[in-house]
Amino acid sequence: MRIVVVGGGTGGTIVANNLSRRLVGEIRARKVRLTLLSASDKHMYQPGLLYVAFGQMSPDQLYREQASLLESNIDFHVDPVVEFKLDENRVRTQSGKVHEYDVLVIATGSRIVPELVPGMREGAETFYSEAGAVKMFKRLREFEGGNVAVVVGVPHKCPIAPVEVIFSLHDYFKARGIRDKVHIKYHYPIGRIHTIENVAKWAKPEFDRMGIEYETLFNVKEIDPVNRVVRSEEDTETHYDLLIAIPPHRGMEVVEKNGLGEGGWIPTDRYKLTMNGHDNVYVLGDTTNLPVSKTGSAAHFEAEVVAENIASIVKIGAPVRDYDGKVYCFIEAGHDRATYAMFNYQIPPDLKPASKPMHWFKMAYNQMYWTSVRGLL
Amino acid sequence: MTTQNEPPLNAISNEDLQRLVEVAQLITSARDAMSDDIVNRLSWALSEGLILLDRVTRNEGLMRLMQVLEKRESQFLLAAYAEAIDAAGKEIPTLPPAVGGLGCILRVMRDPGVLEGVRLFSLFGKHLSHSMREQHRKGEEAIP
Repeated sequence: MRIVVVGGGTGGTIVANNLSRRLVGEIRARKVRLTLLSASDKHMYQPGLLYVAFGQMSPDQLYREQASLLESNIDFHVDPVVEFKLDENRVRTQSGKVHEYDVLVIATGSRIVPELVPGMREGAETFYSEAGAVKMFKRLREFEGGNVAVVVGVPHKCPIAPVEVIFSLHDYFKARGIRDKVHIKYHYPIGRIHTIENVAKWAKPEFDRMGIEYETLFNVKEIDPVNRVVRSEEDTETHYDLLIAIPPHRGMEVVEKNGLGEGGWIPTDRYKLTMNGHDNVYVLGDTTNLPVSKTGSAAHFEAEVVAENIASIVKIGAPVRDYDGKVYCFIEAGHDRATYAMFNYQIPPDLKPASKPMHWFKMAYNQMYWTSVRGLL
Repeated sequence: MTTQNEPPLNAISNEDLQRLVEVAQLITSARDAMSDDIVNRLSWALSEGLILLDRVTRNEGLMRLMQVLEKRESQFLLAAYAEAIDAAGKEIPTLPPAVGGLGCILRVMRDPGVLEGVRLFSLFGKHLSHSMREQHRKGEEAIP
């Protein structure tokens, strides 16, 4: 059986390593061939970008060689897929090589598209790329006071990021002794301060305590970097001295170009994690159109289900598990406190008060991530 | 009013409470001493240690080596290696440089210790090549 995994991010790496462990005998006996096709020879720990933006991590701490994270029996190529021929069970890569498969896993992730909002690329700081996070840190360092506005594009990766950046801004300026000179205003596109109701309930008193102003039902329409104004679809506007934006996201271009899903999000069965209409194609992580957060933890839990099911198909001819929508998100409530949100399709998150040990747990996870992508945790 | 599950008040002595306070103080002290950097370093070491442990425990060659090293005679051999490294390390700097040539080789070969060493390595080579041949011949079944 030929298993091809497309994408070397969190989901793709975990599913490949997990399969490699489960099918070690079959791979050795050459009954199974496991191939991973990635666009990069480097693997980035993306949640670390927020720490880079606040000077708590340096960019080099975010990277490892992709090959060093993979089991030795995985056939790994830095050669991104450019064409999916699902009806013929084959994919073609940038180098022109064709990979035939019996089972395909698509975990290509998502990308930021700030250009969808006029003025966002030029006028706002973002931390969703290494260069953006470093630039944002430098802007924060030289900022001596004024209006800081945070705006949120939709859809976006890591739903907790907007509130985390607010808490971090508060603590950052407090530590520099200029919190009283900084006015922080938060803008959110729906009628409460977070899409997850219990997160909104938890965050509101924290915002009040920190003196954060917030405006809901604010969908970013355009940014005027010259006059430093951000306008909303709802015809309101905010003047700023420093604008931080959570940029809107889309699925990868290759998914859109091959017509696999609108906006680059592939229609996916919420329990089986197979692509609708293709039982031998699995989709996971940001690439799905599922109503779960686009986070590494969702990709992780999905990857475990996908790997277990593919392995059981190889061994007994049928899948054994369903994905229950599980997501676990750390929430940094500043620079020394954190809490977490754990939820699934059935159970909403129940947030506990933020604490220092939870912050340390998050700090520890930043290191343990590398153990996690190797399929150990 | 108390329920049946609650211990009677006199079951908790002042000494017990004092110990609880001491434990709480220890935890508070450790918590105050801890920093993000310490947590980072400890978790990094733990993460790398787990990866190393995982690699070692799933490496069939290393696990076979561990099994062999558990045998008494293998431990004798290992101890002998350790002592040989120690003794040779001390002896080598005291020896004059080798002059070379056939005569020198013959002089060295007259030493019974050298011949025993050569025999040991030839035995090692014989079993090594036999095992390699068997593993290639049997493929999967060769590694237990």
